[in-house]
Amino acid sequence: MRVGLAFLVAASAWPALAAELTVELRTPSGQSVPNAVVSLYPGGGPAPLAPLRGPFQIAQRNTQFQPFVLIVPVGGQVAFPNYDSFRHHVYSFSPAKRFELKLYAREQDRTVRFDKAGAVPLGCNIHDQMTAFVKVTDTGLAARSDAAGRIFFANVPPGPVVARVWHPWLRLPGNQAELRWTMPARGSQRHALTLKLRPPPRPGAAY
Amino acid sequence: MEIVRASKRRAFDLASAGLLGLCLPAAAPAGTPAWLAPDTVSGTIDLRLAGADGEPSWTDDGFGKARFGGGDGGGFSPRPVLAEAELVWRPPLGWDLTGTLAVAAQHEQDYPVDLIEAFVTWRPVPRGKTRLSARAGLMWPSVSLEHEGPAWAVTDMITPSAINSWIGEEVKPVAVEGTVSRALGSQRVSATLAVFGFNDTAGTLLSFRGWAMHDLKAGAFGLQKLPPLNNFMLFAQAAETRPTIEIDDRPGFYGKLAWSPAAPVQLEAFYYANRGVPEAVTPSLQWGWDTRFLHLGLRADLGPRTRLLAQALSGTTEMGIEEGAHYWVETRYRAAYLRATHEAGRVALSGRFDLFDSRERGSEMEREESEEGWALTGAGRLRLSDEAALLVEALHIDSRRGTRLRAGAAPRQSQSVVQLALRLTL
Repeated sequence: MRVGLAFLVAASAWPALAAELTVELRTPSGQSVPNAVVSLYPGGGPAPLAPLRGPFQIAQRNTQFQPFVLIVPVGGQVAFPNYDSFRHHVYSFSPAKRFELKLYAREQDRTVRFDKAGAVPLGCNIHDQMTAFVKVTDTGLAARSDAAGRIFFANVPPGPVVARVWHPWLRLPGNQAELRWTMPARGSQRHALTLKLRPPPRPGAAY
Repeated sequence: MEIVRASKRRAFDLASAGLLGLCLPAAAPAGTPAWLAPDTVSGTIDLRLAGADGEPSWTDDGFGKARFGGGDGGGFSPRPVLAEAELVWRPPLGWDLTGTLAVAAQHEQDYPVDLIEAFVTWRPVPRGKTRLSARAGLMWPSVSLEHEGPAWAVTDMITPSAINSWIGEEVKPVAVEGTVSRALGSQRVSATLAVFGFNDTAGTLLSFRGWAMHDLKAGAFGLQKLPPLNNFMLFAQAAETRPTIEIDDRPGFYGKLAWSPAAPVQLEAFYYANRGVPEAVTPSLQWGWDTRFLHLGLRADLGPRTRLLAQALSGTTEMGIEEGAHYWVETRYRAAYLRATHEAGRVALSGRFDLFDSRERGSEMEREESEEGWALTGAGRLRLSDEAALLVEALHIDSRRGTRLRAGAAPRQSQSVVQLALRLTL
C-alpha cells in the first residue's frame, strides 16, 4: 500500500500523542477514487506546513500533465519541465492563480509560485486533452489518494479534526466535502467514504 | 475513356506513394524552426477491400448512392483499393495561431492530389470563463458529429451518414469564422458566426444525383461527376460540378449555437445560407445555387463507453432562371440519422439508421428527380496500435429515384456494400 506522504519526518515537532488515520475513497458503484485530496485541520485549524517539502513539479510528457493532481503548500514554487519534443502553452485563469507559460520543446527551467490556497485547474492551450490540478494547501496534513483510493496519515494529533475532501469531479459545491472526526490519542482510525463524482469533462470542455 | 481513367488511377497511385514518402519520420536538423518540425506533419493511409452489389456508383457515372457499385450484371466483386492517402501539416504560426494544410489523394478524385483544407486558427488562452477563437480559410463548418481530427476522418466507421457525406462533398466554403464559448457552472454554451464565399454550387449533387453515402471529400480544384442529366439540363449544366467556386460575388453566412447542459450531452443548431444567385452562371456552365438549410445535432454519452449521435437536416436549393412560379431547379431535401457506438477495450461497434428524401419542384426538372430512401450501417473498429486500426463495415441502402429510368434501371434500387479498411496514421 502506498503511503500518502504528508506526515512529518522529525517527531520532535509534533505532540507525543498521535494516531494513524486511513481514509478509503470509493464511488457509489465501488470503484476506487484516486487523486482525491484529504486535508486535515486538527482542532479546526491548519497543521504546520513544514512536512510538505518539495521539489514540486508538473511535467509535460507524452502530451499529458504528470501528475494529474499535485499538492503544494501556500508559497510553494512549482516547476513545469516540458519533456516533449513540441511546445506546450500551460495556463490557468482560476482566481487562486492566474498565469500562462509558453514552453518550448524540452524547456525545463520555468517555475510558478502559488501564493493563495485553493484548487488551480491547469490546461494547455495547444492540447485540449491536457488537464491537471494544483491543490494549494494551507495545512501540512494534506495527502492525495493513490490508485487504490487510499490515503494514510501517520501522525494525526488527538481530538476533533476537520477533514476536507476535495476531488476535481466531486458533485458538491467547490468540489469539496467537509467532515468532522475525533481522533484517538493512540492507535489507528479508518474512514471509508463514498464520493459521488461527475463524469470527467470531455477534452476541450475542461473549462 | 478507359485509357484516360487508367492513367488517372496510375497518377493517383504515384501521388499516394509520394505523400507516403513525405510522411516517413525524419530527424529534424538542429535549429529547425517550429513550423517545420516533423511533429507538425501527420498522414493517414486508408487501404481497403471493398465489395458491392447493385447499380454502378455515382463515381462511375451511375445513380448508385455508395462509393462502390456492383460488377457486371450487378454482381458482388470485392477488390482491393487504395482509398485515400492524406497529408496534414499543422505549423504553429505563433503561440495563439496555428495553420492547417491538408492535401489528399483519393481513389475517385479528379486530380491525383488535391487540396482539402487550408486555414488558420486563432485561439488565445482564455482569460476567464469565456473563450474566444476564430478560423479563416478553406474549411468545413462544424456540422458533422461523425468526423474528427485534422484529417477529418470518420470516427469508428468507414462511411458517414447521408448528411455528413453531403457536407464532405459539397459544403466546404472559404470562410472567416468566430466562436465565443462560455462555461456556466457545469453547463457550456457557444455561438459561432461566419461569413463565407466559394460555395455557390452547394446543392448541385443533391439535386441532380440525390443523397449519397460515401467518404469522399471535396477537393478545392477538382470536379465531381454528375449522373446522366435530363434533356434540358444536358445543355444548361456542365456534366461535372466544381465544389469550390465563387460565381456571384455575394457572400453567404452560417451560424451555430451549441449547448451542453451536462458534460455527457451536447445539443447544437446550425443554419447555413450561401445567398447564391440562382441565375448566375459561368462560361463553363457552373451555376449559382441559392442553398440554405437548418441542421440539428445531438451527442449524448450513455455511460463511459456508449455514445449516441443524431443529426437532422432540412433545406432548400434553387438554381437557374425563374419561370413562372419556380426556378429551373427547386429542391427541398431532408435527412436524419441515429447512431450508437459502444466501446469495449480495443473494439468499437457502431450501428446507424439513415433516412433521407428530396422533393423536386423545378420548372425544368421532372417530378421523378425526387427521391426517398433509408440505409442501415453496421461497423466494427479494432485498434491495433496507436498508429493502426482495422475497420469492417456493412452498408445497405434502399432508395427510390425516378431518374434511374434514364440509366435503364428500375427506380427502386437496393444495394449492399461491404468494406474492410486498414487505417494507418503516420
